[in-house]
Amino acid sequence: MDKSTIQKKYIEFMLENGAKPKSVFAFAKMLKLKESEFYSYYSSFDAIEKDFWKNIFSESTAQLQTDETYKSYDAKDKLLAFYYVWIQKLRENRSFIVNMKCSKTDSIAPNSGFLDSFKKEMNDYVSGIMTDGMMNGTVKDRKFLSERYHYAIWFQTIFILNYWLKDNSENFEMTDAAIEKSVNLVFKLLGENTFDTMLDFGKFLFQKAS
Amino acid sequence: MKDQETIPTGKMQRAAHFVGTGAKIGGNYVKYYTQKLLNKDVTREDLNQDNADDIYDTLSHLKGSALKVAQMLSMDRGLLPKSYQDKFQLSQYSAPPLSGPLVMQTFIKSFGKTASQLFDTFDSNAINAASIGQVHRATKNGKKLAVKIQYPGVANSISSDLKLVKPFAVRLVGLSVKDADKYFDEVESKLLEETDYKLELTRSVELSQLCEHIPNLHFPSYYPEFSSSKIITMDWLEGMHMKDFLETNPTQETRNKVGQALWDFYDFQVHKLRKVHADPHPGNFLFLNDGTVNIFDFGCVKEIPTDFYENYFKLIDQDIYKDDKKVKEIYANLEMIHESDTEKEIKFFFPLFKKMIDMLTLPFTKDEFDFGDESYFGGIYKFTEDLQNMKEIKESPRARGSRHSLYINRTYYGLYHILFDLRAVVKTKMKV
Repeated sequence: MDKSTIQKKYIEFMLENGAKPKSVFAFAKMLKLKESEFYSYYSSFDAIEKDFWKNIFSESTAQLQTDETYKSYDAKDKLLAFYYVWIQKLRENRSFIVNMKCSKTDSIAPNSGFLDSFKKEMNDYVSGIMTDGMMNGTVKDRKFLSERYHYAIWFQTIFILNYWLKDNSENFEMTDAAIEKSVNLVFKLLGENTFDTMLDFGKFLFQKAS
Repeated sequence: MKDQETIPTGKMQRAAHFVGTGAKIGGNYVKYYTQKLLNKDVTREDLNQDNADDIYDTLSHLKGSALKVAQMLSMDRGLLPKSYQDKFQLSQYSAPPLSGPLVMQTFIKSFGKTASQLFDTFDSNAINAASIGQVHRATKNGKKLAVKIQYPGVANSISSDLKLVKPFAVRLVGLSVKDADKYFDEVESKLLEETDYKLELTRSVELSQLCEHIPNLHFPSYYPEFSSSKIITMDWLEGMHMKDFLETNPTQETRNKVGQALWDFYDFQVHKLRKVHADPHPGNFLFLNDGTVNIFDFGCVKEIPTDFYENYFKLIDQDIYKDDKKVKEIYANLEMIHESDTEKEIKFFFPLFKKMIDMLTLPFTKDEFDFGDESYFGGIYKFTEDLQNMKEIKESPRARGSRHSLYINRTYYGLYHILFDLRAVVKTKMKV
């Protein structure tokens, strides 16, 4: 028994029953484990779900690291490449992910607990990309704001995820277009120009008012 | 809406208007999403209404552009100056360039392999933008290749763009909705066909083989094993675009040779194959100094129904043409005049159509025609200008002309235009 087998069984159970197992005890019994043995792998079902998202992220970045072209990409292309690989990986578990949507909003919320570990690693990854971007000038270093770029990217990630969940197009090609267009927009804003002009104007209005 | 005082004419002004509309539409989307965040009840209809109003606003500021749409729909006489027809060319949907990762993604989705695994070399920088995608250079086993890659989601955006344009195009033109529908259906189905690369590949292979025997034409080989619904791979073609070719000052003899090859190409397709490369856009041909032409891009192919073909080309027959009764019958078959037309309407349109057809079919009635004849083209332009100003035409709610004539007329118009630019003298007598 190992973590990935437990995860696989858990996903299977969810897909077949449409709900979480009644208790850790019942699930452990199904796996022919003692309940206490189960806890040596995961502390709860939530922990399995967190791990699921984190694993997909790590698999995606690991795959990118093996690609020579990826290393030559600038910040924008790196993020694009990440999203394409990530969405491709999500496909393998689409049904399971669809199940995770909040029934009220019919989407996955950015602050969903099961995304916690993924979010933390994604933030680190994005900060790394942004630092590269600032070094070669494709991303502008802005006081106080630069450290918060990953917040924006996180919301974009959730946007893409929810877009894909609603995408009915053949081969999810509309999601490809959504990735391309949204990343282009974000990097336009992160680069020089418009955003700074807006900021500058905002500051000006603020001064005038006070 | 502010009252219009002047008609913007300068290119810059026009461009500024379109940029303005673009910005407004972008703004409408932002508005839509912010409103949506605050209030879930805001619907997409509100957004579409906002967009339609802004586009309408801009179009009515741009008399010229508005007329282009109007002319295409209400007149459809094949006489429309080329620029008027550009409105409905796929290039209108020019997509932004694909990023490196998206190109990679497209290859992986199509073949499960990256471009560099598939080809010996693959240049990740695109050579030029095709209307709905872009072209890359590649090599395989020593062969130079051109790889055309389509932007994802183009088919969807064409349908939604046309839906957006339709209500106010109909409003501007004054056509009845039902009559406008037949043209819109035709345009939409053709545009959607152009996004179907599998269909394009089949047609390219088929038509190139059938036309191969025509002197002085070359067609590339296509590679189905490196093609998919989003990618087409063909031989890399050498040659110059028409503008560059003309700058080399080709002799009259060379220009005639090129012109003849193109004329024969269309003549053969229309009369023998009854299906035709319906996009005679100078960008789809590459010219060589020895007077030969490379032809590619069979994205837009119009199949000509027999019934339409027979009626349409009967108009060239001088014996039939002298018989007004027969001509009227043909006009009715081609949906140029309708049963519901009043005597007065027929009196107005009949001589107009006759004059137009006289002009358009002139090259067919001669053994040889000089397409460099400026007075001929001047006459056509003058005539279309006059048509634009006739209030009887503007006020007639009926569409005049079959849906098939849309692309057939466009094809001949495009061909005439190219031959005029070449100043070519061509043997035009129909070989039927």
